[in-house]
Amino acid sequence: MLVIGRIGSFERMFYNAHLVFSSLVVLLQVSHASEILRPRGVSISKASFYVPERDFTCMDGSATVPFIYVNDDYCDCEDGSDEPGTPACPNGTFHCTNAGHKPLNIPSSRVNDGICDCCDTSDEYASQASCVNNCNELGRAARAEAQKLAELTKQGSELRIQLSKKGKQIRQEKQEKLNQLEKDLGEAERLKKEKEGLKIAAEDLEGSALKQYQQEEEERKQAQNEEEKRENEQEAFEYFHKLDSNQDGKLQLSELQVRQTFDSNRDGEVSDDEAKFLLNQQEEMSWEDFVISGWPRMKPLLMLDKGLFQGPDSTHTAKQEGDNNQEKEHISEGKEEELDHSEDDEDEEEEEEEDDKLYEPHPEEEDPSAYEEDEEEGETANEAKGEVEEAASKYDEETQRLINEANQARSEFEEADRNVRDIQREIQQIKDTLLKDYGSEEEFAPLDGECFEFTDNEYIYKLCPFDQATQRSKSGGADTRLGSWSGWIGADDDKYRTMLFDGGQSCWNGPQRSTKVKLLCGTEHALKSVSEPNRCEYFFEFVTPAVCLQLDSGDKQDNIKDEL
Amino acid sequence: MKKIRQCFGIVLWLIIVSLGCNPVQSVDRNNFKTCEQSSFCRRSRRVKPGQSPYQLHLNTLSVGSSSISAELVNYNNLAKFKFELSAIKEETFRMKISELSPIRPRYEVESALVSEPELDTLKIIEQTADHVTVQAGANEAKVFAAPFRVDLYSHGQLVISSNARGLLKFEHYRKKPEPKAEEGAGAAEEAEAAGEEDIEADPGAWEENFKSHHDTKPYGPAAVALDFSFVGAHHAYGIPEHADSFALKSTKNTDPYRLYNLDVFEYELWNPMALYGSVPFLIAHGPARTVGVLWLNAAETWVDILSSGDQTVVSSIVNFVSGSDPTPQVDAHFISETGIIDVFFNLGPRPLDVFRQYTKLTGTAPLPQYFAIAYHQSRWNYNDQDDVRMVESKFDEHDLPLDVMWLDIEHTDNKKYFTWDHLRFSQPTEMTQNLTAHGRKLVVIVDPHIKRDGSYFLHNDAESNGYYVKNKEGRDFEGWCWPGSSSYLDFLNPAVQDYYAQRYSLDNFKGSTEDTYIWNDMNEPSVFSGPEVTMHKDCVHHGGWEHREIHNIYALLNTKVTFNGLFRRSEGKLRPFILTRGHFAGSQRYAAVWTGDNAADWAHLRITVPMCLSLSVSGISFCGADVGGFFRSPDEELITRWYQAAAFQPFFRSHAHIDTKRREPWLFGEETLGVIREALRKRYSLLPLWYTLFREHELTGAPVMQPLWAQFPTETDTFAIDDEYLLGDRLLVHPVTEAEASSVTVYFPGPGQIWYDMDSYEAIHVSSKHSGGRTEQIPVNIRKVPVFQRGGTIVPKKERIRRAASLSLDDPFTLLVALDVNGTASGTVYIDDGRSYEYKQGKYLYLDLKFEGKTLTSRFIDKNSKFPTKAWLERVVIIGWPSAVSKARIESKGMGTNVLEASYNSAAHLLVVRKPAVSMAEEWTLSLL
Repeated sequence: MLVIGRIGSFERMFYNAHLVFSSLVVLLQVSHASEILRPRGVSISKASFYVPERDFTCMDGSATVPFIYVNDDYCDCEDGSDEPGTPACPNGTFHCTNAGHKPLNIPSSRVNDGICDCCDTSDEYASQASCVNNCNELGRAARAEAQKLAELTKQGSELRIQLSKKGKQIRQEKQEKLNQLEKDLGEAERLKKEKEGLKIAAEDLEGSALKQYQQEEEERKQAQNEEEKRENEQEAFEYFHKLDSNQDGKLQLSELQVRQTFDSNRDGEVSDDEAKFLLNQQEEMSWEDFVISGWPRMKPLLMLDKGLFQGPDSTHTAKQEGDNNQEKEHISEGKEEELDHSEDDEDEEEEEEEDDKLYEPHPEEEDPSAYEEDEEEGETANEAKGEVEEAASKYDEETQRLINEANQARSEFEEADRNVRDIQREIQQIKDTLLKDYGSEEEFAPLDGECFEFTDNEYIYKLCPFDQATQRSKSGGADTRLGSWSGWIGADDDKYRTMLFDGGQSCWNGPQRSTKVKLLCGTEHALKSVSEPNRCEYFFEFVTPAVCLQLDSGDKQDNIKDEL
Repeated sequence: MKKIRQCFGIVLWLIIVSLGCNPVQSVDRNNFKTCEQSSFCRRSRRVKPGQSPYQLHLNTLSVGSSSISAELVNYNNLAKFKFELSAIKEETFRMKISELSPIRPRYEVESALVSEPELDTLKIIEQTADHVTVQAGANEAKVFAAPFRVDLYSHGQLVISSNARGLLKFEHYRKKPEPKAEEGAGAAEEAEAAGEEDIEADPGAWEENFKSHHDTKPYGPAAVALDFSFVGAHHAYGIPEHADSFALKSTKNTDPYRLYNLDVFEYELWNPMALYGSVPFLIAHGPARTVGVLWLNAAETWVDILSSGDQTVVSSIVNFVSGSDPTPQVDAHFISETGIIDVFFNLGPRPLDVFRQYTKLTGTAPLPQYFAIAYHQSRWNYNDQDDVRMVESKFDEHDLPLDVMWLDIEHTDNKKYFTWDHLRFSQPTEMTQNLTAHGRKLVVIVDPHIKRDGSYFLHNDAESNGYYVKNKEGRDFEGWCWPGSSSYLDFLNPAVQDYYAQRYSLDNFKGSTEDTYIWNDMNEPSVFSGPEVTMHKDCVHHGGWEHREIHNIYALLNTKVTFNGLFRRSEGKLRPFILTRGHFAGSQRYAAVWTGDNAADWAHLRITVPMCLSLSVSGISFCGADVGGFFRSPDEELITRWYQAAAFQPFFRSHAHIDTKRREPWLFGEETLGVIREALRKRYSLLPLWYTLFREHELTGAPVMQPLWAQFPTETDTFAIDDEYLLGDRLLVHPVTEAEASSVTVYFPGPGQIWYDMDSYEAIHVSSKHSGGRTEQIPVNIRKVPVFQRGGTIVPKKERIRRAASLSLDDPFTLLVALDVNGTASGTVYIDDGRSYEYKQGKYLYLDLKFEGKTLTSRFIDKNSKFPTKAWLERVVIIGWPSAVSKARIESKGMGTNVLEASYNSAAHLLVVRKPAVSMAEEWTLSLL
């Protein structure tokens, strides 16, 4: 009531003044909405500074001038306060009441510049602009818009609450899962330890059995070799005497030439050369020489004769020998492997695991030739394995049992170990997720894992919050990464309004692509627009209820393109 | 988005011109010829001085009322030429030398001169067997017969001597010799022994290769060359466009300055390489005399400069004659590939006389519309119509004045000029109207290359009507440019001129409005696939002229036709605005010129001053550089300083390469935004001065931007200065062009002059006891733009800064009256509607302002002119006023007499008279009481 009374008295005062100083009337306007008389361009809140019967003191105190200088189209105050209604001051402000709509302050330079800035036309009182008062229409539209926005915000904020709830639930679930996993991890580690103990014990037994077996095997082989040598000599001796027809203790050419067995070229006779070859280019051969050089040359022919060999192809023999060698190697390799295993180097195992991890996400990056090589190796390894088993089957029963037990212990340990690492990995993933900033109330959490597309004339853009932004030509082709999730970069008081995805693919001759995503309130999640204000710097507008706050004034909506 | 396409274009271009991949590298010199790689240049440069074989046959002398003519013979080969010397109004002689009876016509330049020059009367005052002397006004020309030489005297002083060094060379057209193997060597020897051209020894005389390009040269060698000695000159200036110092350097140990319009990618600074434009006009200046030479030739031209420092090589003409003290001298040697020798001698004697004489020949820049001298915002490219709208609205939001938004090539439908991208610029008219609703304009690019696309009307019209330049086989020339395969309109063809001008009509150019203005870029012409990134010299134009004969006027013709198109569009009502990159003598009549694709570094900011000074003294006042630098991104300090510098340069536009970061003023910090706003406001507040200076340029040819020696011609210390300049005769500008500067060294010219700091009104007195000026360290902070008003001048300004200049026409004026030592000052103000040609019908106000004693008067310079302006006198600021005054009186017919308040600031010696409120359309007298 007091306020009204004061304004009333101002009005009367001014009315009186008006009678006396009729020229002042041009300085004042009547604002029908409030019926308060005040100089042109002055807001109600500042009206009290302008008192017609007193000299006017600039609001910054820089000067005091006769009131007649107020709004006389000449700037006297440094702060422009003497010319609220004219364009005279370079830094002045003009207030439009805009009855029916929102009041507006405009720079004084827009007064009488021929362009209608105030919907009530008050800024163009002395220009050629033909402005029409459209405050009521604008006001109606603005109110409708505001209502729509308020409605949207209301609906959105309800959705936001749900999102937040869901987000919190996700977090809780994750936390619970984490707790469970941590428990599981303890159990798994205990099991791993137990299996490790069993494995070590089994491998100890296996180790000593194998050592024993190896020793025995060697002895057995040595004995076998000696036996073979002896048998061979016996055979040679018998044969020597069989060939030595004249029993003079020496073999002569003639003694050989009677035996068709030695017709190497199958021409029907044993030539001198053929016989000489067998006698190491000598005319005759003693028993001592026969054992060293004659017998090894003759034996194959004799065996062939007996039908033990399929053909006279000497390379076949060589190959078989080679195969035998290979087989031996494989056996020894197998043993070495087993020995390595028994040492149980955990680090090495982990390394292998890590290698797997490195390769897995980039199968296409592998050199195809390397892949082939791997395959070959694999085959070889399989062959070897088969032969190891074949060889292993040669173990004595007891040793074989111990090996089997050790293998069992190893595989059980491996499983336990893998289980531990699986759990650890899962824990890490959850921990990472829990560290992600999903907003003050977890309202963005449900967006993680979702992707949203926007299609313009040439491209399909995809936004996967908390992951990445990509672009793909409509005509096909690969995705271009416009950035990976970096974080929130909104203003301090409005952090969750802008997302940054950076470190995307490099532009030709330019920077790495990056994308800023401005978040706007809406009742659904949708990627609304994409632009590229700077080369390789993208700007998305993403609508989501997650940013709908009841307190939103809507101002923020107006500033969406601030950063362009 | 579209960058892939863009990149493709650039990649393609890079591949084609064989440039490196990294755009921060500077120019690849290998793409451009040296003199040695150009046969006519190396031949002409090797001519030995002092052995001129040319003799004038004075017995053939024919004398007319304005000219004399005679036969000139080359005694090495008996080739005959016609020599003609005529007197032209405004202290000018013209000398023409051409073949007497050529086997093929020699090309004579069209469109450079504003019209056929007005002849003056000339009379013979002396004739002997040895020479003939003619007189025209205060000037004389002494023509010597053997060896041929022409000496020009101004007011009795020898100022220019032509062929003093005997470097005249005129290669007459000849039949191509049949190759004779056994005689080849002998003939060459013979030629050399006789001092004849080494044409026969030059493998490039009849055909030439450069890189992968072949020039068939069907007409063979046709070079023309001549030397000029400027007696008493300390320096030569002009012959733009080069990225070099304002005062031309001696080329004794470098290539000559080259004039050949070329699209140079990432041009290098401080060297004589050719750039986008060529104005073959050279000014020689000394303390006593200033003269100019226009070498009217449109072919590739090289200019050697020798200065006093090189006197060991060339002895001074005067010293030779008089044997007295060494007189400074500059020698110039012009070498052109073909055409005729057609030379205009502007004999001064003062700089402003030369500017007037030269622009009498080639014209002045017509008064631009008011918006054109305000601030322009450009970028390659604003992405779409919403982007344009958004950027424009940001200017308002941040209270930054802006008059013009620009659209580069991406606004078109696939680089088809006169069309719009259907998606990004689907509603061009609406977009433009949104600008014009705020008093703003739109400029769009229209390049002369035409996309060879069967769905493009312009291509179809041009192809079916034979409007394209032809290649040597007579088929349409095809080259690569932005759209890919392109052909080039032949602007020599009158039918093309008419057709092309019509394209600009509102009916033809859909989406354009009367507020759409034009940017003609790439008009050197730029041909990515061509030799030196331009057109093959053996291409053929209308009339059978080879491209080599007209190359340097291609851009001139392009803008001339565009100008006609815009002129016709408004039925002659509105003044066209065009920006061009390529230019020639006379381009000022049609377009503003910017210095092309510069870069965001401090050296490029520094060179804007010498480059625009060179253009300014060569007739092209409307000059500017891309604010911020085209290539690369400026840091905050550089862009701030660039805005400040450009606010005081004639053409003020920010522009940037598509690969650079956005750089609109609000994208930097709050302080930078504020400082840039201040720089823009300084520009806008001084627009009345700029407008007046442009009008005075139109009237007198005086450059808007002037070297110090234009106003202080005898002050030798000013001759090499190119880090500061004058605006008219009123302001001295010394932009800050160094990073982290805390002060700048300003040279204040004029003994007895007072210069007033425009910000503090502090007076800097230059002592009258010495002959030179005064050098001062002026402290600067980031807000400071060192600008000084000359005592004795009156500067008009408007202190109300509107969002666009065109909205301020009715706003009141403030007059800055800066007093000289006598307490007097004078100045002019020009006012009209800021857009139409009605000023040509006397609808303008041209005010003569004078302050003397205690009285300031405004009088109409042209009593018959009238313009009903609403503008009034808001404030008079008298700078350098000695004592307090509190009242003043204003009197005019319309207003009667009013007493005014005045306030005095004794510390600043500043008197402000409050609100005289008299109409600018009246004569008035203001008296201090």
